[in-house]
Amino acid sequence: MEMIKLFFTFFKLGMLGFGGGYAMLSMIMTDARKFSITAAQFADMNALDMVVPGAIAINSATYVGYLHSGFTGAVVATLGVSIPSFIITALMMRLFKRFENNNWLTDILSGIKPMAVGLICAAVYQIGAEVLFNEGKSFSYLFSDPLGAVSVVGVIIFVVSAVANIKFKVNPILITIIAGAVGAVFLK
Amino acid sequence: MEIKDTIEKTSKLKMYWVLFYTFFKASTFTFAGGLAILPAIKHDLVEKYNLITEKDFMEYATLSQTFPGVIVLNFASLVGRHTAGFLGMIIAGMGAIFPAFFLMLVATILAEMIPKEGAVLGAVKGIRAASAAMILSAVFSLGKYNIKNAFSLIIMISTFMLAVFLNVEAPLLVILSALVGWLYNRMIRNKHKKQKPENKEEESQNGND
Repeated sequence: MEMIKLFFTFFKLGMLGFGGGYAMLSMIMTDARKFSITAAQFADMNALDMVVPGAIAINSATYVGYLHSGFTGAVVATLGVSIPSFIITALMMRLFKRFENNNWLTDILSGIKPMAVGLICAAVYQIGAEVLFNEGKSFSYLFSDPLGAVSVVGVIIFVVSAVANIKFKVNPILITIIAGAVGAVFLK
Repeated sequence: MEIKDTIEKTSKLKMYWVLFYTFFKASTFTFAGGLAILPAIKHDLVEKYNLITEKDFMEYATLSQTFPGVIVLNFASLVGRHTAGFLGMIIAGMGAIFPAFFLMLVATILAEMIPKEGAVLGAVKGIRAASAAMILSAVFSLGKYNIKNAFSLIIMISTFMLAVFLNVEAPLLVILSALVGWLYNRMIRNKHKKQKPENKEEESQNGND
């Protein structure tokens, strides 16, 4: 029963997962709550996604599936997220030919694409709420006790990494290694 | 014609192997998703083995990013079916799945084995903070192309609110946003149709909104 639920959760994501890796990653996040995957584990998963080759969605399915129920879970989740690609490409090619002069696909994508960006923002918020605060604290403590609530070193790593990657295009793998080293010294 | 001849010369078995090998390689050398490895796949399939024309190849590359699902996998199944039918699709897809699956499996098992205490826990915490930053970076790189007007900004912000504060699930958000996008564009088009004869200037202003 659990396996069927796992399969269909990922099948659904494969069917509706517009916008590539990161958009699907945040979709997996809103759904992974059902399988008791925490935001911290999600951050770990994203770090592994960056270091491990291959499509983010397949990597993520393997990770969530494995944590949920070992090797079988990993296989079931990966199949779930992959099978829709085979179905959709066949189906869509047919639809595409029929509606070639119709704008419906562009129209729905004009809604879906910004939605995907919003979902990724939500993932940043949820992961940030867990990994940038000290244990048991969250955004609600920000006004009453800001310095006691946030993990200062964590926030510094977050800001520096973001600027380094967004502004200066520093390689994510390099950033991950440096962040790990800084954490090992200052966050133990 | 030329391509057909080459295909006939290449045995079916070899074609399956080329498909598997090409997408296996593509998946192994692609970090963080997308079609970064496109030029290498193109070199193999179009130039080296003549399995597909460049025009079809580029069309499939665009389509695979428009369709929902895993982009590399969409691409693999389009190219696979085009060149070698149903079995070709499955084989090309397997080539793309295998490296991503097995390498991630090994990484997950290793990550779970490491005892998370002391300096290792510190390192993990540091990596988590950087990981959140990388996801923020994805917001910027995708936002640059997809958040261009007031409509898309409103959709983005409402999605964030619905997901964070009301725990609305992703599939529902996809369907809602698709519907809103469809209705919005229809509305604009109808409005333009009505105004068309008189106001050409206003139309272009609306377009820039």
